[in-house]
Amino acid sequence: MVPLPFRIKVKNAESGATVEMELENDNTIDEVIESAATFWNKEMGAYVVRKGKKVLRGTMALADAGVREDDMLELVPDPEGG
Amino acid sequence: MIRPFDFDGDRFDRSRRIDWLDVNAISQTKVLMVGAGALGNEAGKNLALSGFRNITVVDMDTVAVSNLSRCLFFRESDAADERFKAELVADGINGLAGGRSARAVTAPIEEAASDLFRGSDVVLGCLDNVLARTHVNGQSYRAGKLYVDGGMEGLTGRVMVVRPPDGACLQCGMNKSHAKVASLRFSCTGVETVFHEPRLAAEITTTSVLAAIMVREIAKHTSGRDDLMLSNMLYYDGKQNRMEELEISRNPDCLVHHN
Repeated sequence: MVPLPFRIKVKNAESGATVEMELENDNTIDEVIESAATFWNKEMGAYVVRKGKKVLRGTMALADAGVREDDMLELVPDPEGG
Repeated sequence: MIRPFDFDGDRFDRSRRIDWLDVNAISQTKVLMVGAGALGNEAGKNLALSGFRNITVVDMDTVAVSNLSRCLFFRESDAADERFKAELVADGINGLAGGRSARAVTAPIEEAASDLFRGSDVVLGCLDNVLARTHVNGQSYRAGKLYVDGGMEGLTGRVMVVRPPDGACLQCGMNKSHAKVASLRFSCTGVETVFHEPRLAAEITTTSVLAAIMVREIAKHTSGRDDLMLSNMLYYDGKQNRMEELEISRNPDCLVHHN
């Protein structure tokens, strides 16, 4: 069976901008992070994606992470400095 | 008979008025603080003034002039003299605490004896790179010690609390983007080991907020009030004046939990 694509929005926590992405259930959170960081020309660094209060694990497929059509995820820098 | 202002003779009188804060337990707790940069300076100050009296400060770096806008215990002459940050922070703590409360270790944490972790009660991470964080996270977890880690960037930052053997650890929340920068040193010093520049430099007001939260979490734990502690992560956005608890779930594949 051909997997059906679905759309979500990703918000840039630093700028407030959003981007719509077309994805499939077996895409991973790591792929969302990489795509969003590339789209916004983010500098090299650590980022996480959150859905509400939950930080989503990079290796998880979207379906396993509970990401559904029309969900809003947020790309957040993980501060590294000390 | 209590005379007016008698209570001002007790250094910790104001702390003792907070009923759940155990000042005696705090004075006996062995703190391992890894990192003596901006966060380490602020956390060191907070530890000393809160009454912690057994602190080991680990950092291999020496002072650079650019540190001076964020570091209470450093002076311009320290940069010229290439003084070790760990020694200056330990000296600063001892100056505030009025005694020999802190000692310095000027070696990379990866080379420091694992006894440091086993011999401590709590571990405070004031680090500036992912690789050192994963090391300290793993060592603390294996030693069964509470680990409180801070990270910051510009006006944002986060504090993570790791409580072995339960819950998520720092590495559970990491992904491919962390792996990419893991081997790159992220430092404010400008020495030749720096390959990866910060996206934004940290600044002192953010540092102060985060270091205060980190030391307060340790004070809660030491006082037997884990029920008041963060569940795992607090995210701070100083630009928007937002502070929010986020959830990181334990990763069943995380290597830290399998060693």
